[in-house]
Amino acid sequence: MATAMETGQNIGHITQVIGSTFDVEFSEQHLPAIYNAVKIKSTHKGIDLNLSGEVQQHLGGGRVRCVALGSTDGMMRGQECIDTGDPVSVPVGEATLGRVFNLLGDPVDGRGPIETQERWPIHRPAPAINELSTSTELFETGIKVIDLLTPFVRGGKAGLFGGAGLGKTVILTELIARIASSHGGYSVFAGVGERTREGTDLWLEMQETEIGQTGRKVIEQTCMVFGQMNEPPGARLRVALSALTMAEYFRDTTGKDTLLFIDNIFRFSQAGSEVSALLGRMPSAVGYQPTLATEMGALQERIASTNKGAITSVQAVYVPADDPTDPAPATAFGQLDAFLYLERSISEKGIYPAVDPLASSSRILDPQYVGDRHYRIARRVQTILQRYRELQDIIAILGVDELNEEDRQVVHRARRIERFLSQPFLVAEVFTGKPGEITPLDDTIRSFEEICDGKWDHLPEQAFMYVGAVEQAEEQAKKIEANV
Amino acid sequence: MANARALDKRRKSIKNIRKITRTMELIATARFKQAMDRASAATAYTDRITGLVANLANTGMELSHPLLESHDEQNLALQLVLTSNRGLCGGYNGNVLRTASETWQQLTEQFPAVQLEVSGKRGVTYFEHRQIPMEGTFLQFEDKPKYEEVEQIADRYLEAYATGAIDRLDVCYTKFVSIARQEATVETLLPLGTLVDARDAKAGTEESMVTGGKKTIEFLPSAEAIVEEVVPMSFKVKLFKCFLDAAVSEQVARMVAMKSAAENADELIRELSMTYNRARQGQITGELLEVMGGVEALKN
Repeated sequence: MATAMETGQNIGHITQVIGSTFDVEFSEQHLPAIYNAVKIKSTHKGIDLNLSGEVQQHLGGGRVRCVALGSTDGMMRGQECIDTGDPVSVPVGEATLGRVFNLLGDPVDGRGPIETQERWPIHRPAPAINELSTSTELFETGIKVIDLLTPFVRGGKAGLFGGAGLGKTVILTELIARIASSHGGYSVFAGVGERTREGTDLWLEMQETEIGQTGRKVIEQTCMVFGQMNEPPGARLRVALSALTMAEYFRDTTGKDTLLFIDNIFRFSQAGSEVSALLGRMPSAVGYQPTLATEMGALQERIASTNKGAITSVQAVYVPADDPTDPAPATAFGQLDAFLYLERSISEKGIYPAVDPLASSSRILDPQYVGDRHYRIARRVQTILQRYRELQDIIAILGVDELNEEDRQVVHRARRIERFLSQPFLVAEVFTGKPGEITPLDDTIRSFEEICDGKWDHLPEQAFMYVGAVEQAEEQAKKIEANV
Repeated sequence: MANARALDKRRKSIKNIRKITRTMELIATARFKQAMDRASAATAYTDRITGLVANLANTGMELSHPLLESHDEQNLALQLVLTSNRGLCGGYNGNVLRTASETWQQLTEQFPAVQLEVSGKRGVTYFEHRQIPMEGTFLQFEDKPKYEEVEQIADRYLEAYATGAIDRLDVCYTKFVSIARQEATVETLLPLGTLVDARDAKAGTEESMVTGGKKTIEFLPSAEAIVEEVVPMSFKVKLFKCFLDAAVSEQVARMVAMKSAAENADELIRELSMTYNRARQGQITGELLEVMGGVEALKN
């Protein structure tokens, strides 16, 4: 690689490869800065190697330790490594819309190279305090349980917490279908360490879904960035930043409302913990990296609404072993405005979305933001469900007959409310055969108020499953009656 | 994995409940025995009375008494509901009250006015909750209803019926059929209708055959005088029997309910213990791993 030397490039040599990290020795005068991207391009015994890495540590002397952003297969000591002089950057701008990228900003949808004016580095500072927007506005989704109990904030962050197989991705896709399809601004989707198949499904679906009645497809307003399960930890660690950078560009230059969907933010922490030990950091609680909170904070603080524009973000957060006290979800939890906790016992009852109405909450569920009536009814619903949960042990031991009249009525209504929190989804229509329901917030509030007041006590429990407003429960009850 | 300490706390509270239900089961078993003895003693007496009435009937004479005939005007019905003062007896009260509510519905349709009298706290709170007014409530009947107390009520009903203040008396209670079966039933005690129903008549005649099979019995002072005495007596005994049956059924229901409650609690304790142990073990393993991982990391 004498040519590289001649062009004045800073070249080092690989001295050690450990898993998905590697050490490179540069001359001491030309040490690449932390977060600089390094590139390895070589062919050895017929194997092409084209790998990017990111400098993480200076080990002393001329040596730096890097995280590989791709597979390290075929790497060997002595290979040449070029310091690019800059952090990893991704193309930004309108040209990215409708395209699918990997974390390096290379298109992976097979539609040719991308032409953009600008590339932005993926490591950027978070907006300053005086730039942040302070407005608080409810973001209606048409999903009853979300609108009533965990209202989303426009320009805020919402998290979907849940163990394996509880429907996080389904809810996220549903939200994309609901929000993105009626949304005027841009959307960015980051696939972090999840199934590649799900990414493909989403991509295909976005190509079919129209935005409102405009005749344009959702994908035309969306760009997607994937670093899925098959990628090495370095890729999963940085892909969220790549997507975020693209979203930041839309926020800062176009001023339009931008949506950022991340599935799944836990994989970001997980990837960090995978490389942490290799970088020589001492493991912290439950084996996570000691820098868990720092990494999460650096990412989350950048997802913010400023006075230039807003980023509304919805993130899925995997909860390992259904334990919300695990450090990774617990760290993500503190960053969010609204969070939905998906509960296994609810999904076992066949109630989807399996949102736990008592564990989930939102910053703006406050009379100041949602109004007195909404707040009062949401609290009433929670009180009834809370009482029902308290009674559950007693019912399990002694039976419903032992309850007094008030408690029995609470149980009666709680069971109806519990079922009424289910809702048919737009994206699940092909599986359930039921068309998706978009319930306006007013209908949602009124329906729950009437159920709490006992107006619908006479309907059978089954009638409340998978309906929109409460009137549909009445219709369903008639249908059930007719079938019996 | 859930918090081990919270799990342990829950398990302890369930263990306490289990202790209570187990004790209740034992008490109910003992009380059931006593109530059962009382009920069978009363049954012997009732049989005797019905036997006597059957003998009367067998003489072929016309039995007539105001209590036997229904009034021409049907203005006011009285419903008496027998429930328990205490809970923890499974579906016992629920079943009676369900039957009572149905009867209440029917009676209000048939009669211009219906009065309700309830025995037992459970029934009282039930009707209070439904805002159905009660004319009278009795809370004094426990597992050993006294004949004197029942007689007072019975006398009041007899008088009311005789004066035409009430035109019908329905009693809702739990009939004790066998240990395995108790039924919530409604019986119309006033008007008494026929004194001798088919079953009683058979029992009566059998008895008369045992006592010698004589066809003619001499009544002193007269058959009419005996009827005058026996009809109200028969009513009182029937009412008393209702109270006794209700008491026995309550104890049986409690016995069964507490037995299954204790079993349910056992089941819950078993499950909780398993989750608790697993959570505890998980915690220990996690901490060990952290310590070992830390040591390993420091070595490099």
